Amino acid sequence: MSWQTVVGLEIHAQMATRSKMFCSCRRETGLDPNHNICPVCTGWPGALPVINEAAVRCAIRAAICLDCTIQRESRFDRKNYFYPDLPKGYQISQFYRPYALGGAISFEREDATADRLPLVRIHMEEDAGKSIHASDGTSRIDLNRCSSPLLEIVTEPLGMSGIEAASCVRSLRHLLRWVGVSDGDMEKGNLRCDVNVSVRPDASAELGTRTELKNLNSFVSIQRSVEVESKRQIEVLEKGGTIRQETRLWDQDLEVTEEMRSKEDSPDYRYFPEPDLPVIVIEQQDIDRERQSLPELPAERYRELVDDLGLDPKEALPILARRENCEFFAALLEAGLSATSASNWFRGEVLRHLNDRSERIDQYPLAAEAIAVVVKAVEEDRISVGKGREILQQALDEQRDPNEILSESGEQISDESALVGWITTVLSENPEAVNKIKSGDSKPMGFLMGQVMKASSGQAHPRLAQDLLQKMIEQD
Amino acid sequence: MSSPQQFPPREATVQEALQWISEGRCSSHDLVSRYLDFLETEGKELGAIVETFEAEALAAAKLSDKRREQGELLGPLDGIPFTAKMNITTAVGTTDASSAMLVGFEAGEDATVVRRLLGGGAVLVGKTSCDEFAMGATNETSCHGVVANPWDRSRVPGGSSGGAAALAGSHGWAFHLGSDTGGSIRLPAAFCSATGLKPTWGRVSRSGLIAFGSSLDQIGPIARDASDCALVLDCIEGADPLDSTSLHQLDESRDPIEKVALVSEGFGSGIDDSIREAVRAAAQEMEQHGVEVTEVSLPQLHAANACYQVIATAEASSNLARYDGIHVGSRVAADDLQLLYEKSRRAGFGVEVRRRILLGTFVLSAGYRDSYYSRAQAVRDLIREGVDHALEQVDALLLPVSPFAPFPIGERIDDPIALYACDILTVTANLAGVPALALPCGFDEAGLPIGMQLMGARGSDHRLLQFGQQWQQWTAHHRELPVGGAS
Repeated sequence: MSWQTVVGLEIHAQMATRSKMFCSCRRETGLDPNHNICPVCTGWPGALPVINEAAVRCAIRAAICLDCTIQRESRFDRKNYFYPDLPKGYQISQFYRPYALGGAISFEREDATADRLPLVRIHMEEDAGKSIHASDGTSRIDLNRCSSPLLEIVTEPLGMSGIEAASCVRSLRHLLRWVGVSDGDMEKGNLRCDVNVSVRPDASAELGTRTELKNLNSFVSIQRSVEVESKRQIEVLEKGGTIRQETRLWDQDLEVTEEMRSKEDSPDYRYFPEPDLPVIVIEQQDIDRERQSLPELPAERYRELVDDLGLDPKEALPILARRENCEFFAALLEAGLSATSASNWFRGEVLRHLNDRSERIDQYPLAAEAIAVVVKAVEEDRISVGKGREILQQALDEQRDPNEILSESGEQISDESALVGWITTVLSENPEAVNKIKSGDSKPMGFLMGQVMKASSGQAHPRLAQDLLQKMIEQD
Repeated sequence: MSSPQQFPPREATVQEALQWISEGRCSSHDLVSRYLDFLETEGKELGAIVETFEAEALAAAKLSDKRREQGELLGPLDGIPFTAKMNITTAVGTTDASSAMLVGFEAGEDATVVRRLLGGGAVLVGKTSCDEFAMGATNETSCHGVVANPWDRSRVPGGSSGGAAALAGSHGWAFHLGSDTGGSIRLPAAFCSATGLKPTWGRVSRSGLIAFGSSLDQIGPIARDASDCALVLDCIEGADPLDSTSLHQLDESRDPIEKVALVSEGFGSGIDDSIREAVRAAAQEMEQHGVEVTEVSLPQLHAANACYQVIATAEASSNLARYDGIHVGSRVAADDLQLLYEKSRRAGFGVEVRRRILLGTFVLSAGYRDSYYSRAQAVRDLIREGVDHALEQVDALLLPVSPFAPFPIGERIDDPIALYACDILTVTANLAGVPALALPCGFDEAGLPIGMQLMGARGSDHRLLQFGQQWQQWTAHHRELPVGGAS
């Protein structure tokens, strides 16, 4: 019997605002515990929340790029429960009247076809603090995260695999980062995901009973937990058992899901409208203003890169990974590079540097203009490709301007007599290599070429030197 | 030089006291010093005052005198003593909402209203007792003890702002900040023969008010008369960036009130004869002064108290969740978290507060929410519509504040239903969000005060106060002091 796995997602994304959702504390991580708090976010008696308008604008941007219907009027509600990291005893959320309904996440199926995961809603809410449970049984509470601004994005259930579920979240994260709504760092906890999993005999059957897996904080755990949980459900059903609606925990080390609480035990949150906050009114002009401030979305940039500039889709993807990448790429074009060489140098050098240095493009010290100058020197045959790469690397290592290094390192030498001089020396010093090549083994060619470049202090014109080297060995 | 120190008469209003000061007959320092004496003696005997700030107040009064000398007064209340209810935060002293849960709690900051008054030169002299977390109609649930009614010390002063009203009812010169969720300014004002205003919801910032029922709570003045209340409202009202429900646009209309309607439901069975008669007599008095008096029926009023109990307790159950023994509030140590919550909350909260938290939790619970909370919200809409509609025909609605006179201490405290009956005529203004002004309008055969209230349209606070001033020019009930209270 073939089963279909159905997945629904609830994604919490921390919005990248300067301050928290309802107070003026900075939205920051990494500060000493309980050093980024105020009367409002800690529920001090008498303190009242005030909506951070920047967070609402941020939320509007998210809703626009996910194609949601933004509600003119929405409202905050209180979600009541007791927990030590929730100092007010309730979380301010949007339950009855969220600000955005509908919409979809575009994602790629395993067979590389495009699909859309429909959204139920997006709402704004505040985060709780953190409980830190030590192994000695003591618990500590850090309220720094209290009242950080969150978006909760709730999707419809859709038939998909674990890989595809992860792909949805990846795609969502890409978009949220792109428009600056969220940093989307899962390891820092500012993107968290709950997954609802059910299985059904085939795609046309009624939805099966779902279980909820809480707080998945990596793409791998999203993928694997869906795979493991759907397999568990199928096994239960195939043995004639039934699935209970419950919340389960994902153990990523053992790769199993464990029961946490059943539906009957789930808390009664006693939602009611938050009387301390006014109704949120979002007018069309507010939406229009945010729409205008949005950068071009990845889909539009993709069309530009592939259709207009003629890049291969495979080349376009790493450039599209972040909006800042795209902007850097655009700056390379602006500085006069062709799409092909901008793409080659960006992917081949810039991304490799970032990878080596574990940096993001906005932390990259080299300016696109400076890189372009070096690339042009290569394209105009003034320096070799290798030399160009070397200059960029040196600029990074020594924190210098690549142009300065470029002007110091002499230009490429194409003068035949000079080339012949170096080659002659290299050939006479390496008779064995020459003999090997003559006997049909072309391997030492690279070695000899390296020697020539070395002899010329890297200034020999590589292509001319290569041709000449070949010719001189044959004539030898 | 040393003439015997003279003071304004004891019943003198704030404005009269200011007259004395400005004429140089006494200084703010003299006035505040003498008022502190009153607080320390009678104020404490009544159980009305919990803390006084003598050193700070005298220093502030001295500064005020200096400003007056230099002609640099900060505002019309400069140099005048005032108190804040125990549920309004102040940088000095403690703010415990009269609850064992918060005893000793130092808020560290002034509520917006307090900050504005201090900024206007008024002198904070102390904190008044109230019902625990402002939940009560008798001031018997305060952890600081029962407050006595100055007109008959065996009787309750009304609540929850009982301390404030007991002071205002027995002595002038000063004003008091109370809060009103279902009548907590007006009921004690009526019981103690003081004047008190429950402003339009949102007119006065709630920032710094320890929340009870947030959609109903308002801070307001309790004083000797309506013109003092107006002075205070002028200073404390207006938008506050710390309270996003505070109104940005205030209705500045001062059009005189010409049409008043008696609300029939306020004169039915269950209302003391003497009270019905006193308020009807007041209406006749108004008529004689050219006010057009009619009568309207507001049948929604019958549902108001039930509706109020559901909404107020629901919000309270959530507002008081923060007192969990972990962050703010007293903690009783326990081996596990659940026990810590249970023990701390049982030890910290009094019976009435626990009752309301339980009730509020129940009406919001799955399975009951629709029958209680949601229905109450729907009823609230009907009440609001009914009040709004009635106020389209007339400028103000007139009805008693309390259905009965101040009753003996202990009489109702163990009977919540009888206790909640105190609120039946006051909760409507809170549910509708409209302003309501309580004014003394006479005394019953036993010499106990009777109060009436005028409800106006949202935003008509100053029109009501202006009308109250007029009424108090026609009558002298508000000038009376309890026997034995003369200085």
